Amino acid sequence: MRYVIGVDVGGTFTDVVGVDEEGNEHLAKAASTPEDQSLGVMQGLANLAAALRLTLGELLDSTVRIVHGTTVATNALLERRGARAAMLTTEGHRDVIAMREGLKPARYDLRLPAPPPLIPRRLRLPVRERLRPDGRVEIPLDLASLDAAIAALRAAEVEAVAICFLHSWADPRHEHAAAARVRAALPGAYVTCSADVLPQIKEYERFSTAAVNAYVGPPVARYLGRLEERLRAAGCAAPVFVILSHGGVTPIAEAARLAAGTALSGPAGGVAAAVALARRGLGAAAAEGLNRTGQPPSDDRSAEGREGLNRRGEHIVTFDMGGTSTDIALVTDGAAALGRGREVGGERIALDSLDIITLGAGGGSIAHLGAGGTLQVGPRSAGARPGPACYGRGGTEPTVTDANLVLGYLDPASFLGGAQRLDEAAARAAVGRLAAQLGLSAEAAALGIHRLVNARMADGVRVATVRRGVDPRGATLLAFGGAAGLHASAVARDLGMARVAVPLFAAGLSAWGMLQTELRFETARSVLGAEALPEDAALAALFAGLEEEARARVAAWHGGEIALSRAADMRYGEQVFEVSVPLDGVPATREGLRAAFHARHRALFTYDLPGEEVVLVTARAAARGVLPPMPRRAAGAGLPASPLGERLCRLEEGERGLPVFAFEALAAGQTLTGPAIVESATTTVLLLPGDEARMRAEGWLEIAPGAG
Amino acid sequence: MDPVTLAVLEARLSAIVEEMGEALLRTAYSQILNSSRDFSIAVTDGAGRLVAQADHIPVHVGAMPFAARAVREAFAGEMRPGDVFLLNDPWHGGSHLPDLTLVLPVFAEGEPLFFAVVRAHQSDIGGATHGGYNPGATEIWQEGLRIPPIRLGENGALRPDLVAMLALNTRIGRDFEGDLAAMLGAAKLGAERLSALAAQHGAATLMQAVEEILALSHAHAARILQGWPDGTWKGEAFLDDDGHGRTDIAIRATCTKEGGTLTVDLSDSDDQVAGFVNSSYPNMVSAVSMAFAYLLDPEVAKNDGAFRALKVVAREGSVVWAREGAAVTLCTSHCSNEIVEAVIRAMQHCCPGRAMGGWGRRFRIALTGRDARRPGRRFVWHLFHARPGGGGHARGDGWSCAGEWHSVGGLKFGSVEMAEARFPLHFRHHEFLPGSAGRGEFRGGFGARLELVVESDGPARANTAGDGARHGSAGICGGEDSPPHRYALRRADGSERVLRTKETGVVIQPGEVIEVRSAGGGGWGDPARRDPARIAEDEAEGLL
Repeated sequence: MRYVIGVDVGGTFTDVVGVDEEGNEHLAKAASTPEDQSLGVMQGLANLAAALRLTLGELLDSTVRIVHGTTVATNALLERRGARAAMLTTEGHRDVIAMREGLKPARYDLRLPAPPPLIPRRLRLPVRERLRPDGRVEIPLDLASLDAAIAALRAAEVEAVAICFLHSWADPRHEHAAAARVRAALPGAYVTCSADVLPQIKEYERFSTAAVNAYVGPPVARYLGRLEERLRAAGCAAPVFVILSHGGVTPIAEAARLAAGTALSGPAGGVAAAVALARRGLGAAAAEGLNRTGQPPSDDRSAEGREGLNRRGEHIVTFDMGGTSTDIALVTDGAAALGRGREVGGERIALDSLDIITLGAGGGSIAHLGAGGTLQVGPRSAGARPGPACYGRGGTEPTVTDANLVLGYLDPASFLGGAQRLDEAAARAAVGRLAAQLGLSAEAAALGIHRLVNARMADGVRVATVRRGVDPRGATLLAFGGAAGLHASAVARDLGMARVAVPLFAAGLSAWGMLQTELRFETARSVLGAEALPEDAALAALFAGLEEEARARVAAWHGGEIALSRAADMRYGEQVFEVSVPLDGVPATREGLRAAFHARHRALFTYDLPGEEVVLVTARAAARGVLPPMPRRAAGAGLPASPLGERLCRLEEGERGLPVFAFEALAAGQTLTGPAIVESATTTVLLLPGDEARMRAEGWLEIAPGAG
Repeated sequence: MDPVTLAVLEARLSAIVEEMGEALLRTAYSQILNSSRDFSIAVTDGAGRLVAQADHIPVHVGAMPFAARAVREAFAGEMRPGDVFLLNDPWHGGSHLPDLTLVLPVFAEGEPLFFAVVRAHQSDIGGATHGGYNPGATEIWQEGLRIPPIRLGENGALRPDLVAMLALNTRIGRDFEGDLAAMLGAAKLGAERLSALAAQHGAATLMQAVEEILALSHAHAARILQGWPDGTWKGEAFLDDDGHGRTDIAIRATCTKEGGTLTVDLSDSDDQVAGFVNSSYPNMVSAVSMAFAYLLDPEVAKNDGAFRALKVVAREGSVVWAREGAAVTLCTSHCSNEIVEAVIRAMQHCCPGRAMGGWGRRFRIALTGRDARRPGRRFVWHLFHARPGGGGHARGDGWSCAGEWHSVGGLKFGSVEMAEARFPLHFRHHEFLPGSAGRGEFRGGFGARLELVVESDGPARANTAGDGARHGSAGICGGEDSPPHRYALRRADGSERVLRTKETGVVIQPGEVIEVRSAGGGGWGDPARRDPARIAEDEAEGLL
């Protein structure tokens, strides 16, 4: 038997998913090891091998591919524990990353301390050189000033150097020459050029991304190197890939070079899973009238909504609720939305990145009486330590998990398959203290916490859909991660959503999703010259060159099929912001680009300006290496399962005994009527009164929520 | 009302104004909206009381209800569902003419339950000079087109004849119409969401929730005030000049804190002046509200309830409340910033831990000329670079290059590379300016030094509009003022021509250099108490 293996390192657990040739999915968990995540990964692999009755060597020997999601870069940024990094930059412009374009978050918090930049000013060293926007050399690269800066870097014992010169998007020659000299003088240093990380105009985006790359590069490279070493030592010969923020995967060496691109590697797996499930039909039926509200989609005003109406309009909203945070993203017609304005730990990373909304609320979020006098949930979280009061590790403040336990939704004896016993009395005491402040019973307060977190989640889904112009009522809510199943139906009701899907594999879905995505390399070049649009021949050469660069890159990693796509960022002459225009199937001519831009502008903003000059700013190409499709398990039919028993739960309607079903035991096609509880070792689903649920042969429980 | 429903409705109302703001940001056409984000969004109740406001430009925080109330008064008994109202006049619910305000009533059971209010700064509003700021103006008719509350549309659609008339009176009609469509879209989105909320919960429940939310916010603000000592304190701040010969124009605040109420009396301020630094009444109230909000906790909801704890007193005919017909266009920055400064200077004696050093003053340059790379075209470029610094405070040093009191880090400056690619400009130097911060136990943020070579095809012309070349950013609680702005033009022969803050038609020859040394923020606390480690850090960073 051969396996592909997905590895998702979370804050508390490392999930390892193995899928065999018949499509059987196996999940193993190990405690995460933050000091060196590769230890937890190896333990997880060992646990998976044990579950399969194999030795680790046997498992790795029969493994054909490993895909990995890592939070090393994310944690380095959030905890400010990255490399000692420096920057060489154009003389007269050393404060670009510290100026932050004049923006400060939290408008009314004037006593918010300013964050120290990733690279302090004393390590942002000026080099005498200057290019003009057309690539003309205003001041040649001055080697004396470069050598003086390099000497200072050596004295400061820096681990990483970002080389960030103005207008390197137009011509990277000064950056490359400086990099060669730095590499020769400082062997072992992690050296990154801004034009190699993000070859496009706008210095803050490019410099900030390069600074992040220098800051997280050494720890990411070290970690991936250690992991590869351990895997090879254990007998693994299979290629190892890392999932990037844009949802594609890349080999370890490339992930180490473009380390900033792994900043959203963690949550990307869940979105990749949604994309894969969409291919299996998830979301498809939403347009066919499963919508029980009977309401037509509203007249969307905002940009993507109008555009969405032109497509099939199958929307999936991922709802990945963990202990401290919840990730929400939108997948439309099997594709995830991408953005370029991402900040992680307050630092701008302008690389393509999945448009994931992260809410600071999850199962561990603490409920309290806010300063304004109303009940609040979060943003503080009990985290893994001490954890919710019911974990019995010293937590005394009431969390969402405590409320769910008080309400009877969780089984204290079988949490995590019985690996963790929950302390009901501690939960009740914690919730009770807050209840007393509110003048409510413990049950009423617990219900309030549950409702309020549902409302916050609903607002997050609203941001992901409505604010992106998508009517949530026709969308499917894909609930996964440990805690989502208890809240999904209520969130869907609040928004009038037609359907909820909870995969049987909810707890390991992110790791599974990583196995479903493709190799991807993106490249771009800004072309802003005196001409608004280059001549047709130059345009064709530009795109052909970019595509060839991307194709060659992927071909070096991958022997199979390679798909290419192109896009361009354009604007009208006097506008400030560019609009990204997909160009697949569009001729690379002035007329082709102009027509595509006018159409896109009309679709996004209701109007176009046919008389206005259309300016090309950045041309883009992407190459995708298509990986072999994942095997799929044949659907098992079997007899409908009966409830295991009954549990007393507190619902809005009052206290009731709810039937409890084992998730694994549900037969394909079996239907359930809420209220009911469906639980497995790693996830619990709450069906509310009026909910109709059906187990799909594809492996998910599909819920049509009752009217809210 | 049960506390959970209340919390849910409170969250929904703020989500609605956020969503409206997002829609406007994404659909606006002009740079001033989609890049500089100079707009604000609010929802008021049917009486025009502020229910929720998104965190955009603080100087609008207390001004939006005036617009809703002006519409309500002008169209009492004649308002119908689907009506669209517009205004900009400072004596009819507006703050200054470039800020166009669109008001949409939201009806339930025949009564206007809410007003969705969208205010957006226009790139041009007619008047004697391009771009809305006319330092030469001595009366409002020289500043642009005045619009009292008008019914711009019915049944949700705008009247094309009225829109055409308005667009014809601005220099960039296409921007104007595009932005107006975006404003209407955002307001309609808000109205739809509010109608749905009312239908879901019932109008009576919703409005009861609004009352309770406002009462809780009032209690929240009052509870914070009760933690401060009672008393009366005075503070004053000075405008450089009015551009017409008056210098050191005083704004004087007398602040009386008693229990859970703060009264700010600006009656002792100087009389109104000839130039455009006078304030309209709504802008003055808003500036005081902004200062008040800065002193409270950031979590306090910005609504009518919170501002019930604030009483504002002023004298008509003074610079902070000019009589109808005065020039007022600069007022959203100056004298707004000096009103805030006077209030904070007074309140530093009451709540020193909350007072903050002064944020910088605005000094804008609009440059126009020709570009050899784009023959036959005139360019217009607005300076947003070299921003001043923010003030120090009890929790730390100020933010560098984060801007002025009225925007506090909410306005973005553009990319140097993009500016060089699109305009005949060369940014020779753009870095923090060492020594520009006001000293203190916690210093201000740094301003910047800019050397901008103008490479126009033939001479270019510059207009300025701003303040702060005589007075730096205020030091607070023993902190020192920052040095003031210094803007100059370096001629080809090496001589220097200092730029004043209110000038029109300054001729710049190709190759001449605009040299900006912008002010940092004001310091907080006695500089002698500064932690030596912080001094050493600034020194190591090369910023002293």
